[in-house]
Amino acid sequence: MVEVALQVREVSKVYTRRGASDVAALSDASLKLERGTTFGIVGESGCGKSTLARILVGLEAPTTGELFLNGSLIDLKSKARTSTLARDIQLVFQDPFSSLDPRMTVDKTLREVLHVHRLHSQDLVGRVTELLSMVGLSRRFADRYPHELSGGQAQRVAIARALAVEPKILVLDEPTSALDVSVRAEIINLLVAVQTELHLSYVFISHDLAMVRHVSDQIAVMYLGRVVECGPYDKVFDTRLHPYTKALGDAVVLPDPQREKARNAASSEPVQSALERVDRGCPYAPRCAYVQDRCREELPALDEKRPGHFAACHFPLVS
Amino acid sequence: MSLLSIQDLHIGIAHKRGDDEIVRGVTIEVEAGEKLGIVGESGSGKTLTMLSVLRLLASPPLSVLSGRILFQDEDMLTFDDKRLRQVRGGEIAMVYQDPMSSLNPLLRIGSQLEETLRAHAMKGPSTKENVRDVLVQVGLTDPERVISSFPHQLSGGMVQRVMIAMALLTSPKVLIADEPTTALDVTIQRQILELVTSLQASTDMAVLWVTHDLGVVASLVDSVVVMYAGRVVEKASTYELFARPAHPYTKALLASLPHVESGHRSPLDQIGGTPPDPTRLGAGCPFRARCPYSVDQCHREEPPLIDRGDGSFAACWRDPDEW
Repeated sequence: MVEVALQVREVSKVYTRRGASDVAALSDASLKLERGTTFGIVGESGCGKSTLARILVGLEAPTTGELFLNGSLIDLKSKARTSTLARDIQLVFQDPFSSLDPRMTVDKTLREVLHVHRLHSQDLVGRVTELLSMVGLSRRFADRYPHELSGGQAQRVAIARALAVEPKILVLDEPTSALDVSVRAEIINLLVAVQTELHLSYVFISHDLAMVRHVSDQIAVMYLGRVVECGPYDKVFDTRLHPYTKALGDAVVLPDPQREKARNAASSEPVQSALERVDRGCPYAPRCAYVQDRCREELPALDEKRPGHFAACHFPLVS
Repeated sequence: MSLLSIQDLHIGIAHKRGDDEIVRGVTIEVEAGEKLGIVGESGSGKTLTMLSVLRLLASPPLSVLSGRILFQDEDMLTFDDKRLRQVRGGEIAMVYQDPMSSLNPLLRIGSQLEETLRAHAMKGPSTKENVRDVLVQVGLTDPERVISSFPHQLSGGMVQRVMIAMALLTSPKVLIADEPTTALDVTIQRQILELVTSLQASTDMAVLWVTHDLGVVASLVDSVVVMYAGRVVEKASTYELFARPAHPYTKALLASLPHVESGHRSPLDQIGGTPPDPTRLGAGCPFRARCPYSVDQCHREEPPLIDRGDGSFAACWRDPDEW
């Protein structure tokens, strides 16, 4: 039987601005994360993926919507939400050098987390060593400062810090984007290995479609704060229903000169550059190559178009 | 004769005890109309090499120790300030990684573009028209609005188009693009790549595209230079590089990317170890510690860039057929 680790139901976040119109950063986003699996979220800047990450770890309170952790409803309005959520959900940021304190050694960084979460009753030295070995670092890294680490090593420390409170869920916000290409693969391999070993559930946020496809079981594609397509990883990428998913996939530059040449010759369809917000209708309508009158009038609901595969489009590409 | 020729360039960083060499004998040549990719990780020396072309190295502590940079057979390292200003942003233009920090936030886009023309003594009665034309050329459909905007009022993709427009204003012979799409979304990145390809086809401009993204390289350039630890380790046509990488580092980089064909969640081929500290290389090949094919010779002696006969070069003692 599948066990749901985390369920987000119709979460919205509206930022109000003085003297300007409100911004809906996130609109009715829902996701269901099954225990031991990875839920991938892709989309461009401004699609609301980082807002969602911040809500999941309690850094931000949603305007409306509900969040269930291990089946129980979390009170997201309470100030205590951060500490409630933090024990179970930890966040790993994009750039380890700006998320690690430059004046703290690795040892102190890890001890601080254990201290804050009152986990200091145990053998601290042993626990720090154990955390480091979980991420493939030896004990000698404990006395180093962040500037004495390479990008890959620093990201390993950031992952060890997230694991320190024994969370059940990791939210990974672009965990490899800031790293050198030659170390990305090892961090991904590490994350997959740690997940299997500790039976963790991941929310993996990235704009690197190939990487998201590689690690995720379920994928949601977001556009301007809304989930426009979601389903199992292979379905979302191989049978794209939403025109935006198709545009995203087509835009990826492949490390394959022959396929790229063929594609350049075929010339892709024109896309507008600006993220234009609409008052009504489908948010993607201004950029959509398949737009019809109905799209400008009526907001499409996220419907199950095929078994387990959802899309918010009046005229899906595959019917 | 090449349009731009970087010959045996050495760049050092000054310390109390002397200079540490961080770019160690780089030779790169580009012809008019050529699109060349320069691939490498942070610390490989790719950006320093490009900055030194325009004499923009932060000096001190950085300085060119030796080598020549020939632009149309003139050595740029001997240029006086006047001649340098003509070339910099004029005949050789550069687009940087972060467009937002390359523009003055307090000036409107229009006046910043006009300033470029003024600096190159190209300002005249048709200045306004030139600015408008070049903005349309880079795909900005409402040039009047862009001209009167401040940088913060435009999206990242639009600002990068403005930067490319600024670079093109002076009709440069060489365009150096240093990871100009890294900070942009995938759909915008694709547009910028197509834009540069189409602009380049209509002029005879040479493009040097600096990147760590092999996908960008595959879609855009004719040939590729791979840099590692301050040296060129492989040079080949784009097709050849992807089909038959001749340096283990290139091969490992290509193998580490997730492919649609590779198994879901199966381990990716990772490159062990970390890039070496360029100031502590020691003897031998700088890639030796991470290389699965290293032999004794690799630990003793650093391989030169060896001509492989088919137009490609690799700094490796081993024959790829033996891997």
